[in-house]
Amino acid sequence: MPEATSLRISQVGLRGIVGHGLTASHVLDFAAAFGSFLDKPGKVIIGRDPRSSGVMMREGVVAGLLACGHEVVDLGVVSTPIIQHSIRRLDAAGGISIGASHNAAEWNALKFFGRHGAYLSSAEAGELLDIYHLRKFDFLDWRGIGALRHDPAAVDCYLDDVSAAFDLNRLSRFRVLVDCTNGTSGEILRRMNERFGTSFILINEARDGRAFAHEPSTTQKMAALQLAPLIRPIGADAGFLFDIDSDRVAFATEAGEAASEELVLVLIADELLERGPGRLVITSISTTALLDEVAAARGGEVIRVAVGRQPATDALSNYPADSIAVLGEGTGAVMMPRFRFVYDGIVSMLAILSLMDRRGLKLSEIIGAYPRYSILKGKIPLETHRIPEMLYEIESRFSDGIRNTTDGLRIDWPGKWFHVRVSQTEPLVRVICESRGDPPRALFDQVMDLVRSYSL
Amino acid sequence: MSRVHQLKISVSGIRGVVGEFLTPNLACAFAQAFGTYVGPGPVVIGRDTRSSGEMIEHAVTCGLLAAGCEVVKAGIAPTPTIQVHVAEIHARGGIAVTASHNPPEYNALKLFNREGLFFNHYERSELLDLYHQSQFRQAANDEIRRVVTDTASAPQRHIARVLAHVDVDRIRARGFRVALDGVNGAGSLMSVHFLREVLGCELHAISVDPSQPFPREAEPRAEVLGELQALIRQTGADAAFAQDPDGDRLAVGDETGRILDNDDVLALAVDCALRRRKGPVVVNLTTSAVIDDIAARHGCAVFRAPVGEANVVERMKAAGAIIGGEGSNGGIIFPVVQYCRDSYMGMAFLLDRMAETGQTMSELAATLPAYHRRLGKLPFEHGRLGQMMQALERTFPGAQVDRSDGLKLTLPGGWIHLRASNTEPILRVAAEARTQEQLEELYAKASSVA
Repeated sequence: MPEATSLRISQVGLRGIVGHGLTASHVLDFAAAFGSFLDKPGKVIIGRDPRSSGVMMREGVVAGLLACGHEVVDLGVVSTPIIQHSIRRLDAAGGISIGASHNAAEWNALKFFGRHGAYLSSAEAGELLDIYHLRKFDFLDWRGIGALRHDPAAVDCYLDDVSAAFDLNRLSRFRVLVDCTNGTSGEILRRMNERFGTSFILINEARDGRAFAHEPSTTQKMAALQLAPLIRPIGADAGFLFDIDSDRVAFATEAGEAASEELVLVLIADELLERGPGRLVITSISTTALLDEVAAARGGEVIRVAVGRQPATDALSNYPADSIAVLGEGTGAVMMPRFRFVYDGIVSMLAILSLMDRRGLKLSEIIGAYPRYSILKGKIPLETHRIPEMLYEIESRFSDGIRNTTDGLRIDWPGKWFHVRVSQTEPLVRVICESRGDPPRALFDQVMDLVRSYSL
Repeated sequence: MSRVHQLKISVSGIRGVVGEFLTPNLACAFAQAFGTYVGPGPVVIGRDTRSSGEMIEHAVTCGLLAAGCEVVKAGIAPTPTIQVHVAEIHARGGIAVTASHNPPEYNALKLFNREGLFFNHYERSELLDLYHQSQFRQAANDEIRRVVTDTASAPQRHIARVLAHVDVDRIRARGFRVALDGVNGAGSLMSVHFLREVLGCELHAISVDPSQPFPREAEPRAEVLGELQALIRQTGADAAFAQDPDGDRLAVGDETGRILDNDDVLALAVDCALRRRKGPVVVNLTTSAVIDDIAARHGCAVFRAPVGEANVVERMKAAGAIIGGEGSNGGIIFPVVQYCRDSYMGMAFLLDRMAETGQTMSELAATLPAYHRRLGKLPFEHGRLGQMMQALERTFPGAQVDRSDGLKLTLPGGWIHLRASNTEPILRVAAEARTQEQLEELYAKASSVA
């Protein structure tokens, strides 16, 4: 990607390559806008992932928030879910997570949270952006400036709540290999081993600010490369791989097979529909159709919204909280009602281990019992101005299917579908194509060729 | 015309009322310009105790890191201590977050080069151009360096440098009873340690809590040191010291409870320095002729520089001065410690001299020739300044004229110096004469023109 276009300011926050698009002044302006947006007086919880640029961004965030009169509680290097947990625990007005999650080390980003650690709604995020663009910040004079403090108890308080939701004593019988990708999950799991006797075997545990052992994406490809080959040699019951801020996860079975990232949500929906009162599974229109089959078997219903965290967050408010079983995406990002609808990779892993424990089955046996689906994913560089024309042509070529334009274009046939959409984070068109049984190679190639004919 | 300068970005750096005017965004951008200018390497940052200090410190750290500098945080520290630390650790530069003697609603950045000195005139305008061009160095993730916090070394190094020039045993042996007003400033804790532990004084201190606001006007003028004077009388102190919030300016009280003229304090320090080694003295244009008298006793020359620490320091370096300072501002600059105004060297010199001679502070002051001085302010209108200065020159025919900073007219019995303030739309007037009558005549004549 051209460096000059790395900066992206959207409802999800601020994101870019540090020094090549994302600068200190963006960070300060955004922190000041958020400090102006939040109720005063109020605490603001901040934390960061281990990237070197995180310290620079932390300093700017602290300055902007203090200037607006907020008390700032810095948790240091912690996972995003722990920041959200601490916002609730300390009854703070909001919080900021400094970290670029599944992006490479040179990237960084700010994510914003409101009261109770909730993601901002579209309306709130829009207001924050307006304040940012107007640059009229609510700075107080010398009498009103806030103070900074630290809170070393954040990880333990989070683990107290986690241990109340899962029987860690029973789960400790599993030998679990974890690839921490040099991110924030290492400290949490090491502490869990110390306090609860769990058996997480950690690789790539050391935090590193400059380079990660591998690309921090929670995909089947990455799990196959890094994690799966080690599982059988050490005799693990399962393997998990976290992104840098530990809000999403990928996994591999005891047989050393990396699983599709789509299966994280499927497994957790399976577990929670069986155990919880909620019946709804909220996901994006790109997630595997296996989810519909598994949900239907457990009496659940799948609701599909546009791709991305923001549409998912907005969907949450459209249903009673106790009617929702789980919400997630096919990327390994899942949130549960028990954990206040926060994307949390650690908790997702524990839910999958709980499922193994209750069924008394191996991970490969659980997955093997599901009907077989094959999914193909591709991406093609984009020529922006021809997108509507392209979507129109694809739609007219496949007029025999059921058309869905919630986000890009999805066409469905019995046992088969494809989805074409424009990425929100990169100048790309993404194509996803799935069928029950064998890979839909012919359909996939046909759609890819069509898209390619409009690309650069 | 009555506009107060709530924000000033100039060759002196950046200074303003925190909140609406001096924002963290501005401080961050200025720090990034500074970091771009000095280059990727360590930069020392410290601050005084005003309530906005922590916030501005974070903004400055952000800007420095973004420019690829390593940040060495000295925490709450006097300005001279920060300057010494820059030189000691061979940093690329330093930033003191302090508005010095300005009221608590202000803050500012003082900028130092790799020797720990104020930027010279050329460096300052280069930096300002860089700031205005906004073409900053933008460090990528693998070029961003760490933050090191070291609050202990800077005071230790500064005190060690000061002690090399006085006889500590002789001071300790006297067990002086000393009163101190720290204005709850950056020097509070260091001064208590320095006077009580290092110099063995029986210390009676007020306003030495850095967590509290300034209890009095920040500039240690005699008019605002009533509490310290009462403390002298109450405790029978041999000497009294008062600092400003960033510990560069020093006021001195004697055992009778009188606050000495700042020019006389500088004169005593000049005497101490020239007793150790002969050489030139540099002071600003507004500093008293008592300095010339003292230097003459040692057979040494005096040079004058425009007002402002940076100007005095520049001239001192050029002249190879033994000591220098700004009399009216209460600043003593002793370059073998560091080219900066240093209240600690001032305290050490005076206590050492008392220990050496057995004289009281008032007796030491009495050895100085007596002058009568008056400082004042006159309002002026933009565009009228030149005419006023010309009229003044005509009023004092035969005076020796110096136009290097405003207008200074030296007459046989005294002198008068007028200059426009950098921070307010006023004319600062300083006058000095041998007798009170001469002084009043001089001042009245000058005022009539304005």
